[in-house]
Parts: sequence; C-alpha cells; structure tokens
Amino acid sequence: MNKKVVYSINIFLFLLPALILFVGVLIAPIAMSGYYSFFDWNGFGEKTFIGFENYKELFSSNAIGFTKALGNSLLLAALSVFIQLPLSLGLALLLGRGIKGERAFLAIFFMPVLISTVVIGQLWLKIYNPSYGILNVFLTKIGLESLTRIWLGLPETALGACFVPILWQYVGYHMLLMYAGVKGVSPELREAAKIDGATNWQVSRYIVIPSIKPIVKVSVIFAITGSLKSFDLIYVLTNGGPLHATEVPSTLMINMLFLRNRYGMGSTIAVMLIILCFAFALLINRLFKEDR
Amino acid sequence: MKKAKVLATLLAGVMVLSLAGCGSSAAPASTEPAAPAAAETTAAPAAETTAAEAPAADASAETINLEMWCIATESDSNRASYEKAIEEVTAAHPEINFTWEAIENQAYKTKIKAAVAADEMPDIFFTWSCAFLGDFVAADRVYCLDDAYENFKSELPEVMMGNSTYDGKHYGVPLTMNIVGLFANMEILSQVGYTEVPGSYDEFIACCDKLVEAGIIPFGCAGKETWCVTEYLESVIEKSCGADVLNDIFLGRATWNNQDVADAVDTFQGMVTKGYFDPEGIALSNDEVKANFMAGKYAFYMNGTWNCADFAADAEFGPKVQVSEFPVINADKAKLGQLIGGPSDTLAVAASSPNAEAAAQFTFELGRLICHYGYLDGCGLPAWTPFGDTSNINPLTQAVSDICAKADTYVLFGDTAMNADEANTYLSYVDQVYGCNIDGAGFISGLAADIR
Repeated sequence: MNKKVVYSINIFLFLLPALILFVGVLIAPIAMSGYYSFFDWNGFGEKTFIGFENYKELFSSNAIGFTKALGNSLLLAALSVFIQLPLSLGLALLLGRGIKGERAFLAIFFMPVLISTVVIGQLWLKIYNPSYGILNVFLTKIGLESLTRIWLGLPETALGACFVPILWQYVGYHMLLMYAGVKGVSPELREAAKIDGATNWQVSRYIVIPSIKPIVKVSVIFAITGSLKSFDLIYVLTNGGPLHATEVPSTLMINMLFLRNRYGMGSTIAVMLIILCFAFALLINRLFKEDR
Repeated sequence: MKKAKVLATLLAGVMVLSLAGCGSSAAPASTEPAAPAAAETTAAPAAETTAAEAPAADASAETINLEMWCIATESDSNRASYEKAIEEVTAAHPEINFTWEAIENQAYKTKIKAAVAADEMPDIFFTWSCAFLGDFVAADRVYCLDDAYENFKSELPEVMMGNSTYDGKHYGVPLTMNIVGLFANMEILSQVGYTEVPGSYDEFIACCDKLVEAGIIPFGCAGKETWCVTEYLESVIEKSCGADVLNDIFLGRATWNNQDVADAVDTFQGMVTKGYFDPEGIALSNDEVKANFMAGKYAFYMNGTWNCADFAADAEFGPKVQVSEFPVINADKAKLGQLIGGPSDTLAVAASSPNAEAAAQFTFELGRLICHYGYLDGCGLPAWTPFGDTSNINPLTQAVSDICAKADTYVLFGDTAMNADEANTYLSYVDQVYGCNIDGAGFISGLAADIR
C-alpha cells in the first residue's frame, strides 16, 4: 500500500475516537434539538411536524415571554462586559504589579469560582432574606430602613438582586485569566516604559492592556455567552420569578421542557441559544479583528 | 521511525482492547439473575436513597428487583408512613429486592418527566392523578392495573380510582386524599376577640380587618410556589361561583371567560391589596411560610390537609390550631361542602418494567399500607377502606374527616386537573393576580385567549 495512504489511515484511526466523541456529545444533540424544534411534541407521545411554527410562536407569544427573557440575558451580558470585566481587569492589573499579599488576594478573589453555585445561591438567599437577611439588617442599623426591600420578591428589584451574585461569582474567574496575561507581559517592556517616565496607569494603558488583548477577547466571549446561558444561580434564587421578572432563556427552556411538556418549544429555545452564542462569538471575533 | 510505528501500533491495540472491554461489560448484565435482598432490605432508609443490602448467600433466580421513586423526602409529612409501609410490605415479600428513592417535589416533576421521555422509568413511581398521569398513559408508558385491582376491589372503592382511570382502565393506586383546609391559629384569633373561626364571609373579613388593625398578618402564602396561591384563589372562586363552574372550567367543559370568576379574582386581589397577606410571602417558599405560621406569625394558613400531621405532631403548636372550611362568599351560587381537593397522590407502574405484573400487585399492597399509616399519622384521609384501630387519629384529621363527611362536591386542584401546558399557563396568570399585575378581567380574558 502506498505509504501516504497508510499514513492517512493512521491519522484517521487516531482521530476517530475524538471525532466520535465530538459528534456524539456535541454535534448530534444540537442536530437532534434542531430536528425536534420542528415538532409539536410533549416528549413521550406522538410528534406532529409543524415546520417553523415554534420559532414564530417563540417570538410572537406573550405567554411564553422569550423576548423578555432574552432581554434579561442581554442586560446581564452588558453588565458583565461593562462592570464585571473592567473590575476583573483592574484587579488583574493591580495584582500583576506584584503587590504585597498577591497570592493571598488571588486565592481570595478566585474563591467564589470554586464554590458550588447552589451554595452561593443559598448564601445569597440568606443575604436577601427580608426578615433576617444581612442586607436589610445592615440598612436598618445604619438608619436607611426606607431602603429595605423584599429583594427577590419584587419584580423591580429581583433582576438586579440576581445579577449581583452572578457578577460577583465570576469576577475572580476573569481576573485569573487576565492576571495570567498580565504576568506574561515582558518585564523589560515595563521597565523601558518606566525609564521613559511612564506612570503605572500609562504602563497599564499603553503596554499591558494592548498586550493582553487576545485574553480580553476570550473573556468578553466567555462573559457574553455565559450570560446568554446563565441558569443555575437564577434557578436557585428565583426560578425565573416573581412574575417572570428574572426569566432567562435557560429557565424558560426548562419550564417548556419539564413543566409544560413542550419538548418542541424547549428544543427551539435551545437552538436559538446555540445560534445566539455562535453569533456573538463571531461578532466579538470580528470586532477585535477590526480593532487590530 | 520504526520505534514510533511500534508505539503507534501498541497504542492502537490498547485502544481497541479497551473499546472491546467497554462493549462486553454492558452486554451480559441482564442475563445474570438479580441479586436478592438480605434480611435487612426492609429497613427504613438512612438517607434519601435506599438500597438493598448485600446479596444473601442463597440467592435464587426468583428474586425480583423493584425500584420506586417518590416524593416522601425527610421533610415530607408522608415520610414516616412510607417507611412503615415499606418495612411491612417488604417483610411480607422476601422474594422482592425493593429499593426506593425520594426526590423533592419540584425536582421530582422534572425527573419523572425526563425518565418517561427516555423510557427509563423505575418499576413503581409516585404521580399525581388526572392530567399529570394522563399524559404518561396517553404515551403508553404506564402499566394497566385492571388485573391486579381485582384482588383489592373490596378494600379500594371504584370511586377513589376515578382520577387515575382513563378510557375505563385503571392506571394508578390512590394513597390518601386531601382537601384545602383553612388552618387557624386560635391563640392569635383570641387576641382580637374570636374563640372560633368566623363562619360567615362578612364575619371572616371583619376578623381579618381586626387582625390587620392589631398589627397581625391574617394570611401566609408562599408566592415562590404558585400552587400555594391557588389554594387561596381556587377556594375564593369556588365559594363565589360554585363548584360546578370551576370544575367545568378545569375540565375544559367551559371557557374561562366567566364574569363571576373575574369578580371572584377581584375579591381575592382585594384581600391582597388590603394587606391581609404577608408581603414578604412573595419571596418565600412554602416550607418557610409554614414555619412562620407555626411560629405564630400569621393567623390563617390555607393549604392541603396533609399538613395536619405536622401541626398535630408539634406538642406546643398542635393544640392552638383548628381547621375549617373557607366561608361561602356568594350563597346564591356556592355552599358549604364544596371543597377543593380529592384523591391525587397516586402510585403507578411503568409499562417498561420487566416485572410489571409483580410490581402491580406489590404497588397495591404498598399503597394500601401507605394510606393506612398516612391516615393514622394525619397526612390525609384514606382513599382505601380504613382498617385496624383508628381511634388515635389526631383531632385535626378528625375535623377534616367531619368536613369531608358533609362534602357536596370536590373540585380537584387546578394544576392537577389540567394538562401540563395549560396548568402552567394558569399558574402564570395566578402569579400575576397575586402580584397585582392583572385584575379579574385580565385574568379571565388572558386565560380564555391562551388556554382555550
């Protein structure tokens, strides 16, 4: 047999297990979701093909409320990009400068990422508890009783109350990514800038941040796709309530799949989430490319 | 290069062998006889999941493995009755290797539906009757219990099987039956001059007003779990419009577009806006609200009569509580004896069970005992004919029994009577009513448009 053919067969054979895993774990479920999204199906009975009806209903039905849920996710994504990431970057730059107790701070800021989301949810449920929660107790103690609220029970405060722990939890994660980038910037570059009279801020602004742009890009992609997929903390804190004020596409999907027995509609939401995540990832890539 | 080739061949060989290994381990599992339970199998579970003990030495091929999922978690009122019933029924059936798992109510609904979708259900599973079980029956996932029922007909009245009967066939074993009860903390009521729960609606409202004036919250209701809101709302609708109207709507025989229903919803919302309900309740779970009621934070708590067990078991709180029926709001259309509830808690057998016949027989025996012990514990009224000494039933359950003895009509809980999609649409509108986002007119027009 031709040596080149044997070589190609070898490559194929070695790639095959990974390919099977990739197709089986990632591609096949996406394809199946796409397939089910064209059916009216309760998950265990007979399926009825309805074409794009689920997609039409998803964007037109007030009863489902997908647009509101998507809006909530996009708001979370915006907050992640404009509040969480700058905070993470600030911490990474500060720690990357080699301040005293650098390692300890690194561990402390990263700790929320290591804690189970359900535990964090329970923790924040206690913080927000209207009767004995530390937030209301603190506000009362400092004389701001008028500001006390049923934080997770009122539609006007519940969304914000859910976003705070979500943002808080992942600050450490993005900080660690950026910290690794900051530490990778050549000390000679910093020193040269310092010799030229640059301040700490100028070194960060003109040397460090441009150097870690690829990492910032990854963080932005993670923050936006993570926001679109956000589920666990919201599920624990409010389960989408009150009055659907904290509904996000993932909680809506669970609601459709397991509470309403609408597997077709649940699959449609899953497909929309995949499309949106891919679209945002491509868009961010493009934005960063053009910027370059 | 040669070394690399040898290494590559070796690695490929190991990979192929490991793949072959994976394949062979899964295949013969079903050919081996199932491991029988040891003498300890019947012991009450220490944790949420209970597994049978190690196989007995004299394992025989006749051992039958049966697995059950239910919602009798450690915090569930029915837990003790499940444990006692399982202990007794497994002792009577040493040939059965029985394992069971209890899952929290809300999570269970997700789990069982996923299992049904994947056709990977346990042999026996807890379910709610009517539409919830009906969806599974329609998908041919549930074993028909007609044959096994013949052996228990004398102890389990046909009428109790009604909610789990589809096309004339029986698919569920009812356990206890419950109604929505108006629980009152008499110690709190005495503070505003009442020695008994007001019997008429006007007196009841006057009592609530006095409570509010005295700085006492009349009602506790868990807004985080909408079914708790329906316990109040459905009672108000039923006592305003009559049981038949509500029943017809729930069962799809009438439209939601009914002005009487809209007025009843406004009545309920009026109670919310007048401050009768704990404002913090909207962010609380039912467990938290129930704990608040038991701690004396509210005067009234409307919920299922399965709570009688927990209330009566609390030596300090039990003597303070009374249970009664919600008063009639519109005597022209409704009357006392029209109740929300009925037999809903049910056990069913999976059609895919390899031992479905044995599971069916076992389920009836188990259901009979869960019902028996549940009744003795005060978890509800018996769907089965009571047996043994029932003289020590707690006073609360006895009071519920008296209410049911005078019952005129039962309307099953709305979210049980309707199919999953409609039930959740309904719950979504109930949520909006409780949150004062929509009024009665918005409620009926929205539901009429979104449901039928």
